[in-house]
Order: sequence, then structure tokens, then C-alpha cells
Amino acid sequence: MAAAVCPCRALLGGRRGLLRSLARSARGLAASKETHFGFQVVSEEEKGEKVYQVFENVAKKYDIMNDSMSLGIHRVWKDVLLRKMNPSPGTLLLDVAGGTGDIAFRFINYVRSVRERQLRQKLKHHQNLSWQEITDSYQEEAVKPLGDSQVVVCDINKEMLKVGRQKAQQLGYSEGLSWVVGNAEELPFGDEKFDVYTIAFGIRNVTHIDLALQEAYRVLKPGGRFLCLEFSQVNNPLLSRLYDLYSFQIIPVLGEIIAGDWKSYQYLVESIRRFPPQEEFKAMIEDAGFLKVDYQNLTSGIVAIHSGFKL
Amino acid sequence: VRCQLCPPARALQASAALRRVSDEHKKEPAASSSQHQFDSHPTDHHPEQEPQGPRPSYTGQGGQESEDYESEEQLQHRILTAALEFVPEHGWSAEAIAEGAKTLGLSAAAAGMFHNDGSELVLHFVSHCNTKLSEQLEQEQKLVQLGETEKKTTDQFLRDALEARLRMLIPYIEKWPQAISILLLPHNIPSSLSLLTSMIDDIWHYAGDRSTDFNWYTRRAVLTGIYNTTELVMIQDTSPDFEDTWRFLENRVADAVNMDNTAKQVKSTGEALVQGLMGAAVTVSTAARALR
Repeated sequence: MAAAVCPCRALLGGRRGLLRSLARSARGLAASKETHFGFQVVSEEEKGEKVYQVFENVAKKYDIMNDSMSLGIHRVWKDVLLRKMNPSPGTLLLDVAGGTGDIAFRFINYVRSVRERQLRQKLKHHQNLSWQEITDSYQEEAVKPLGDSQVVVCDINKEMLKVGRQKAQQLGYSEGLSWVVGNAEELPFGDEKFDVYTIAFGIRNVTHIDLALQEAYRVLKPGGRFLCLEFSQVNNPLLSRLYDLYSFQIIPVLGEIIAGDWKSYQYLVESIRRFPPQEEFKAMIEDAGFLKVDYQNLTSGIVAIHSGFKL
Repeated sequence: VRCQLCPPARALQASAALRRVSDEHKKEPAASSSQHQFDSHPTDHHPEQEPQGPRPSYTGQGGQESEDYESEEQLQHRILTAALEFVPEHGWSAEAIAEGAKTLGLSAAAAGMFHNDGSELVLHFVSHCNTKLSEQLEQEQKLVQLGETEKKTTDQFLRDALEARLRMLIPYIEKWPQAISILLLPHNIPSSLSLLTSMIDDIWHYAGDRSTDFNWYTRRAVLTGIYNTTELVMIQDTSPDFEDTWRFLENRVADAVNMDNTAKQVKSTGEALVQGLMGAAVTVSTAARALR
């Protein structure tokens, strides 16, 4: 008899359990959509938190890890980005997810040298300068070495910004820099404020990429430029295999040895694979309203620079 | 719902920026050269965009792009035209283009649409000059057809056409050597060569050249040579109103026409000689036969 009762109860229990799990999943679907965190599936709120934790952990070793993972090539990529931007003095740059300030410092160096060249050209053209005029021009160079250019570094993660500010102090960058905490999906700036918007190796960590692109469109002035430097799909099959091998076998190990954090670097490598390829990302940028959208592959597609204009 | 409404709103906003810019410069000529082949005019296009409501989202960016494709090109032309006034100060460079963009109310970053070396600015200017020249020659031809002016001789026509074309360089003459060097850059040579040949072709066409034989090539080669050498003389000319250049041009055109006449003379002399020889041969052979 007990045996006869047991299966019934088991069945009832089973059905109740089934109902409970059904209810839970229905509630889950209504509450939050799911997204990817590397190769895991998580809810959208969770993704934001997890990404925050990743960068909080890696902030202090971020630059060293960049150098060792990319064998220093990331510096070349960032230099190419600046060359493509070719900013003139007086440009206002917004560097989103710019945490440790690599792009911002390069921007300042570039603008400073362009400004010096401009002042030198001006002096060359004037044949008969009085001493007063010469001193005036030197003063101008001293007072406005950047020619009113400014860069605002915006990052969601306070740890990364802290590291960036320390670096700025160490390297002696004092003016033309601002550090702001903000979310790329909801920027704390007014409309049409900036000439150039850059996001280097940051957009794949954003939960809603389309919102970030729309915000980028919003804060740019008419004629402004959107530039995105990001890992992308390698088009060469041989290189692609080597790259996969390197990414999944070596990088997390390096992460463990140098930064003591295997998981964060596993996330990094997986998130690169999850990011849409060049053409798809280009379509997303066009959807946000940008025109003349184009991309340039660097190192056979390991990274790509996407560029668009708000016209 | 938000996603559906957003793209069309932004699409209209994008076109609003372009329209706003175009309203400021309504006088811009529509098509600049044979390089661009759209036939509708900007002023016809934009009023059509107003009454349209938000487009359904499935049209997406495709519909938007095809309508604004013209405007992108024309916006670029407008920026380059505005940049020309900064060339004497900044040279043919990205800085001049940035200044031009700023006068149109755009950020200086818009200069990023073009090459960093100012190539597009020079090519735009050259094609603009060629168009102006064609229009001028067309006008002159109409006047001749209406009988209001005399038809010029070939060498006078060529001289005037080349002088008119070279005079267009005068406002930029100080920076013109830089422009020449940009035009000779390997990646620009196809475009600059095609602009040069189409200009020379135009001039010969209006000069009345209808040749279909080898003359077509020789005439164009000769005129190209005259134009290039005169241009080089002009950039180092310091005489008032470039008198030396025009005198040089006159001499070269006279040489060319002389050469042409001489060639014809040589040809006819040659033919006459050949006929003479043939005649002599016939006479000798007849006489020889008669003697036998």
C-alpha cells in the first residue's frame, strides 16, 4: 500500500515542482532579458555588475596586461586611431570607457605637436618681426599650448578612472583633461557638445550597444565624428586559428600569472568572440543615424576601427 | 516601441541637418563634372522629405541612405568649396578643409571625411575650373553661332582658352606648386590625368576639331604639352599680370600651329615629289619603249 501511495505522491510532487518551475520561468521572462557574458548566459542586470567587477579587479594591472597580451601592439593600434582622427587644436574629445587614459594622453600629445607646428609656420611666414611680436607668440604658445582642445574621459568604473588620474599625475598631464564617471548608455552630458567621440576596447562590454551608439549620436555636434577601436573578426583562416589558440590557451594563463585573475581574462577573450563582425557593427552604427560609416582592419582584422559622421 | 520610433526620428533629424546646411547655400551648382551622374537637383529633393511622416522601421537605413546619398556628396562638395578660401593661408591640406567645414556650421572633425593630404580639395578645384571653362567656351560658341562675334582663328582660340583656364589659378598661385605635387602623387594620377585629358579634349572640341585620324592624338598631346609648360612658367612668373606667361603661351601656340602647317607642307611637298618622280619614271619608260 505504501508503495502504491508513494508513486502518487511522487507524481503530485513532480507536477507541483513542474508548475513551480513554469511559474518561475514565466516570471523570469517578464522581468529581465538575457544576454551574454563571455560564453555564459546571464540576465542584463547581472551583466552590468559582472563587467564592473571584472574591471575593478583588473584596474591596477590593466596596462601591464595590455602590453603582455598584445605584445605591445596595442600602442600601435591606438596611435593609428589618433592618426586617423587627425585632431586639430580646439577639438573637444569625449573618450568613453577610456579608464586609464591611453587615448586621452595620445590626443593631448598629438594636439600639442600640431599646435607647435602651427605656431612655427606662422613665425616663418612673417619676415620682419619685432621683438614684441616674437615674445607675444612665445607667450601664446606658453599660455595655450593645446589651443583650447579638451578631452573628457568618461568611464563607468571608478577604479579605472583612479588609475587613469594617477597616471596623468605621474606623466605630467595637467590641463585639458577631465575625468567623469558615467554610463555609456546614458551619458551625463548635454546634446551636441563634442567634436569627436571615441570608445576604445569598451563597446563590447556595454550591455545595450545600440543605446550607447544613440547616446554617441546625441552628444556629438553636427559634423562630429564617431570612432570605435575594437576587437573584431579575423578574416585570414590560418591566422584565425593561431589567434584562437593564443587567446584561449595563453591569455588566461598570463592573466593568472601577472594579475592573479584567470576568470577576468577568460571573460575578455570570450567577449571578443561574442562581438559582432565588422559589417554587422557597421550596420548598427548606421542604424543610430551616422553617415559615411566605414571600417579599417588592423592586423588582419584582429582589431578594427569603425568611423561614422553625424551629418 | 522606443526602438521602432527612434530610427525614423533620427533619420529625419539627420536629413534636417543636411537640409539646413543646404538652405544656407542655395546657389551651389548642382552637378560639378562628368564624374557624378545624378540628374535630380537638391532643391527639388528636400521639399519632398517634409510631408513624409515617420517611415516604418523595416525601411531602416536603406531608404534613408538612398535619399541622402546625394546630399552626402553635395555636402562634401559644399565643404570643399568653402575650404577654398582658406587655401592661401593653410595650403591644400586637411586644415583648410577643417576651416571650410567650420564656416558651414559643422565641427572641424568633419574634415575626417576626406584624405589627410588634401587631395580631394585639389581635385575638386581642378574639376570646378574645368567646368567653368567649358561653360565659358559654350557661351562663346553660342555668341558666334548667333553671329554676335567673329569666329576666331585656331591659334587665337587656343591662346584665349588656355589663358582663361590659367587665370583661374591666379588667386591660389602661391600654393599652386603644392597642388601640382599633390596631383602627381601616385594615388591621384588616374584622377588628375583624366581631368587634364577631358579639359584638353573640351578645348579642341570647341576649337572645331573634328578629326578622326591620328591627328586627334597629336593635337591633344601637343596642347597638353603647351598647357603643362605654360603652367610651370606661370608659377615662377613675377611680371605684372603675368605678361611673360601670356607671351610664352603665344609663342608656343604659334610654334605648334607652324609645326602643323609645316607638316602639311612637308606632306604636300612629299606628295608632289612622289608624283613628279612617277611622272619622270613614266616618261623615261615610254621614251625607252619608243626608242626600242
